[in-house]
Amino acid sequence: MCKYSTKLIAWLDRELEQEQMAEMEQHLRECVECRVNIAKYEGASQLFDDYCNAVMAAEPDRDRRRWIPLLSAAAAILVLVATTAVVLRTRVQPLSPSPTAIVQPAQSPLVPEPAIPPANAMRPRRARAKRSQASNWLPLPPQPAVEVAIPADSMFPPGAVPEGVNFVADVNFAPDGSARQMRLRPRLTAIERSTPQP
Amino acid sequence: MTGESVQITLPFSCLASGAREVTSLYRELREPLLRYLVCLGLSKDEAQDVVQDTFLSLHRHLTAGGAQNNIRGWLFRVAHNQARNRQGSYHRRFAEPLDPHFAPMVDESTPERMVLEKEKLHRLEKAIAALTDSERECLLLRASGLRYREIGEALGMATSTVGDTVERAIRKISEKFDV
Repeated sequence: MCKYSTKLIAWLDRELEQEQMAEMEQHLRECVECRVNIAKYEGASQLFDDYCNAVMAAEPDRDRRRWIPLLSAAAAILVLVATTAVVLRTRVQPLSPSPTAIVQPAQSPLVPEPAIPPANAMRPRRARAKRSQASNWLPLPPQPAVEVAIPADSMFPPGAVPEGVNFVADVNFAPDGSARQMRLRPRLTAIERSTPQP
Repeated sequence: MTGESVQITLPFSCLASGAREVTSLYRELREPLLRYLVCLGLSKDEAQDVVQDTFLSLHRHLTAGGAQNNIRGWLFRVAHNQARNRQGSYHRRFAEPLDPHFAPMVDESTPERMVLEKEKLHRLEKAIAALTDSERECLLLRASGLRYREIGEALGMATSTVGDTVERAIRKISEKFDV
C-alpha cells in the first residue's frame, strides 16, 4: 500500500498544510494507485452528497399542511358565529320592525318614516340597519375603527417572514380620538392571491 | 428547497442588535443546517424549529459577548445537540426502510432525480446505514461544507480525529459500494 494513501481524502478536502498539498500533487502525477483511489473517494463523496439531496427532496414539506387545521378551525368558527347570528336574528324578528313595517308608517307610527334611498345606496343602508338591530340585543365586541395593512417586509428582514404573510393592525380609538388599543395579526395574502378567480 | 417558505419568529430585539451578523449567517447557513437536520432524521417542520431555536441561541450568545471564532461550528453544534435531544426523530432516518421516501427519486421524468437509480440507492442506503453515528455525522457535516476544524467543534472531537473518521467513512462507502 502506498504511504500516501492515508492522506488522499485530506488532500481532496484541502485539509493538508500547503507543503503537504504540493507534495501530494507531485506524488499523484507518478502514482497510478493513488489516482485510482482518489477517483473512488471523489465518487463516494459525490454519492453521499447526492444521497443528502435525495433525502432532503424526498422529505415531505408539511409547512402548508400545518396551516390547514388552523384555517379549517377558523372557517368552522366563522360558520358557527354566522349560524348563531342568523338563528338569534330569526328569533327576535317579530319584535323588531320588519322592512314592510318600515315602508308602511301608518301601521307603525313609532317608526320614523324612512327616506326612499336611491338604488345604489341600498347596501350601506342595509348594513346600518343590521348593525342597529344587532346592537340592541347582541353584546358585540367593539369593532376596530381602523384597519391598517402592513407589509411584513417593512418590519422584518427579507426571508424572516414566510412569503405571502403580511400583517393587519386593528386600531381602536378612544372618544377623544387617541389610539386606545392596537392588535397585530398575520394575514396570508399569498393564499388570498392564489385563490383562482371564477 | 428553492422557493420554499419558512416560518420563523424572531423578537424585535434580535433584529435591532447584532441583526446584520445573525441575518447574514442565517442566509448563509439556513439551507445547510436544514439539510443536515433532515438527513439526521428530523422532519422539515422539526428541522425548521431547530434552526429557529439555534439562531435565537446565536443571538443570545453574541449579545452575551460569547466567542465569535468558529461560529459555523458553534451553530452546527447547537443544532446537532437539539437534534440529538429529539431521540425519536434522530433515529428515524436509518431505522425505517427508505423506499416510500425515495419513490419519487427514481421517477425518470425528473432529470435532476435520475442521478441516483433505484438499485444504486438501496446499496448506498445500506452502506450509509452501516456507518457508525460519528462517521455518518462527520460525513454529513463535511457534505454541509464544514472544515474538519468546524466539524470537530460541532461534534466535540479533535480535528485529527475528524480527519481519521472522515477517511474511514469514505473508504467504507467506496468499498461497499464499489464506486
